[in-house]
Amino acid sequence: MTGKSLIYVVDDDVDVRDSLRILLESAGFGVKDFGGAKEFLAEGVFTGTCLVADIRMPEMDGLELQEELVRRKLSLPVIIITGHGDVPLAVRAMKAGAIDFIEKPFDDENLLSSIRRAIEIGQQVRTREAEAAAAERLLTLLTPRERDVLDQLVIGRSNKVAAYELGISPRTVEIHRAHIMDKMNARSLSDLVRISLAAQSRGLA
Amino acid sequence: MPYSSDALSRALIATAVDGIIVIDRRGLIQVYNEACRTLFGYELSEVVGQNVKMLMPEPYHSEHDHYLSHYANTGEKKIIGVGREVVGRRKDGSTFPMYLSVGEGEAEGEPIFVGIIQDLTARKAAEDALREREARLSSILDTVPDAIIAIDEMGVVESFSPAAERLFGYEAAEVRGQNIKMLMPAPYHAQHDGYLAHYRRTGEKKIIGIGRIVVGRRRDGSTFPMELSVGEARFGDRRIFTGFVRDISDRQGAERRLEELQAELLHVSRLSAMGQMSSAIAHELNQPLTAISNYVKAARRTLDQEGPEALSRAQEMMDRAAQQVLRAGAIIRNLRDFVEKRETNRAPQSLNKVVEEAIALGLVGMAHLGVRTNLELESAMPPVLIDKIQIQQVLINLIRNSIEAMQAVSIRELAISTATDGTEFALVTVRDTGPGFTEDVRRRLFQPFVTTKEDGLGIGLTICQSIVEAHGGTIVALAGVPTGAVFRFRLPIAKQSEEAA
Repeated sequence: MTGKSLIYVVDDDVDVRDSLRILLESAGFGVKDFGGAKEFLAEGVFTGTCLVADIRMPEMDGLELQEELVRRKLSLPVIIITGHGDVPLAVRAMKAGAIDFIEKPFDDENLLSSIRRAIEIGQQVRTREAEAAAAERLLTLLTPRERDVLDQLVIGRSNKVAAYELGISPRTVEIHRAHIMDKMNARSLSDLVRISLAAQSRGLA
Repeated sequence: MPYSSDALSRALIATAVDGIIVIDRRGLIQVYNEACRTLFGYELSEVVGQNVKMLMPEPYHSEHDHYLSHYANTGEKKIIGVGREVVGRRKDGSTFPMYLSVGEGEAEGEPIFVGIIQDLTARKAAEDALREREARLSSILDTVPDAIIAIDEMGVVESFSPAAERLFGYEAAEVRGQNIKMLMPAPYHAQHDGYLAHYRRTGEKKIIGIGRIVVGRRRDGSTFPMELSVGEARFGDRRIFTGFVRDISDRQGAERRLEELQAELLHVSRLSAMGQMSSAIAHELNQPLTAISNYVKAARRTLDQEGPEALSRAQEMMDRAAQQVLRAGAIIRNLRDFVEKRETNRAPQSLNKVVEEAIALGLVGMAHLGVRTNLELESAMPPVLIDKIQIQQVLINLIRNSIEAMQAVSIRELAISTATDGTEFALVTVRDTGPGFTEDVRRRLFQPFVTTKEDGLGIGLTICQSIVEAHGGTIVALAGVPTGAVFRFRLPIAKQSEEAA
């Protein structure tokens, strides 16, 4: 792994927190640990790659913290650890998008592989977001008429049908299409559709 | 004869209470007396020479001429010399029941028919009223949930109500005329005739007017608990005993269910306490175990590196792991102390409330045994530190013992009192008017397997004693004055600090 991935650890038990920090450091991660969810949220800016949080904590528990992250649209992968194997809690955590729900005490490899998976997922998410942002920028280059044509193409309409729908000639559609491909840096129709969808998904998120 | 036969017969006809009508062979009315006038409402002048059928409603009205000609032709008598109940028709069209007897005679060479008429209206009404009363009574007997059985002085069943049929499984016809003892299991079966004979001889009432719980025997031989009350009625020199029987299997079933429920409640509360406890243990222990595992694995990884720095880091991690092992040990030790303290669920309780509830529970299914209960509660009773359910078990046990013991006597009074005596203990006294116990029994009362009950195990009071003593209290049994049993136990008054807890 190039450079140290930073892992956040939030657990109110000082010994568990300390041992987690030492374990993760021994496995080559950088660690920043917090005694509670509030202290963690006070950080404000999150450059870490993954959050490991205990479920049972005073004030704000691990699930509430996870839900708060979702509310703030922070795409930080979360791993919940618990001293209490509780199926409803596990379901709630997974539904809210937790990467894993790990029961204490755990095998270190279980936790480490979950963390690696979380980092990977985090990178994918970041890649997708970067793509979407780029696609969104490209979309702004299109004229309103070109946007209309693109919308027709993305939902699978042929040139002819698109021309009929928009009340223009198929030839005009073809010209618009060539301009669109050019502006969006798309090599093929499927490439165009992918870029367009990426931009839309970000718009919806 | 001092009177002329003519005058005499006129006087007879005129003064007869019954109606008298004479018709000729064609059915035309010849004689119609004063009583008839009252009965039918027609004046003499309106009916003489008219066909008698005018006094009859349909279908007789249409058929009467035919009866007469039939008789004239065949000589076959249908009513003559017999008499029967028929219906008459008044002038206003209304009808009434009457008894008609018809005789045949001869006047001036012609056949005549003499009808004597008795008004049955009043008798019918009385009969109807009687029938209605009987129907009403029997419908009441049919619907009363209690089985009702009447026997004569010798024990022979005279009546057996539908509820009795349902209860015992016999048809009334199978039981009527049989000895009532067929409905009793041994030993009553063999003794009942003796009871009746004893009562006939001495008049000493053992059950009449009292009522008690006895055991009945169904047709299929099964037995069931029943509440029997017996009343006595005299008709001239005959005596009838009426028994009212109520099946109390259900009530006793309910009682059993209550006991099961209580046992289950105790069991469940113990289980849930254990469940909560083990969940707490699991969580508490998981923390140091997690830390131990993390430190050891981190040390293991660190040792993969070479050099003195890695070694000293690994040693530091092993030390931290060892500390976590000690932390786990401390949790287990604390837990053991906790379990020992929490063996019973003691909390400051209002003793008076605990007693009131216990009486209600203790009387379930026993309210019918005619026990009068008296409560004398100390109004300034401070809270006591007890396990409420355990102390109620003690009270219910004592209450039930007393009620059972008092079944042998006629005055049944149960008194429960709470009091303080200036010590750190509250006093609870349960006093009954039963037969009490001998000094010998009293001394051994709390020993296990000592009992005066036929079906008792002799462990109830032993358990009571161990519960009270576990609370730091004492329990004693005393002889009542003038009779009866007295149980008194002491329970610790909660200290201020415990009250706040």
